[in-house]
Amino acid sequence: MIKVLFFASLREQLERDVMEVEPEGLADVAQLRSKLAGQGAVWQRALGNDQLQVALNQKLSTMDAAICDGDEVAFFPPVTGG
Amino acid sequence: MPLEISISVQAEGFDPGAEYNLLRSENYSDGATTMFVGTVRDFSPADAAALEPVEQKTVAVLELEHYPGMAESALTDIARRAAERWPLGRVRIVHRYGPLAAGEEIVFVGTTSAHRQASLDACAFIMDFLKSRAPFWKKEIAAGAEDGSWVEARASDQDALKKW
Repeated sequence: MIKVLFFASLREQLERDVMEVEPEGLADVAQLRSKLAGQGAVWQRALGNDQLQVALNQKLSTMDAAICDGDEVAFFPPVTGG
Repeated sequence: MPLEISISVQAEGFDPGAEYNLLRSENYSDGATTMFVGTVRDFSPADAAALEPVEQKTVAVLELEHYPGMAESALTDIARRAAERWPLGRVRIVHRYGPLAAGEEIVFVGTTSAHRQASLDACAFIMDFLKSRAPFWKKEIAAGAEDGSWVEARASDQDALKKW
């Protein structure tokens, strides 16, 4: 399974902070994002944002990064720490 | 002195004076200590950008969300990158999460070096990278309000990385 996390405004929009997704047929983050976005209008809106950032196994990553079973993928808006 | 990196991601407050003492404790080779302390303001960046000054204080609480695990490793990575560029002795970063009232300290960056410029530059570098690379998100909540609005990332923070 792929563990998927959501943070900040994305977490609120989707009303969840974590979910598990079957890895079959998902080669990269972009495909995972498309699959999730296909779950409805709210998902489409939240994950369709071109500012969306992603971390793969707790490191900032890019949408073309390859994923596999056991990975942790986090989606979130641009960070605003400090 | 050999490089020492110390990172804390915590809900509790911190004492900038105690942090200074730790940076200096038994550290006789570094002549320079630089510290940055970020504090929660009582107004929104959006107000600061407005043409007319806003009299009303708009932020009572800043809610800090973080990505546990990744926050610590991202701060460590940023500190290591700074230490690769400058000859640093100690690097200390404290970043808080949870609800913080206006006036509370939110972030601390301390660097020591034999050289003043290295210490100053490394501290600025760490803050600039922390703004755009560390997984923290701020929500501003006005007095009496139950919920607030997320602070949007600013292009100027991203631009700040270009000078490094």
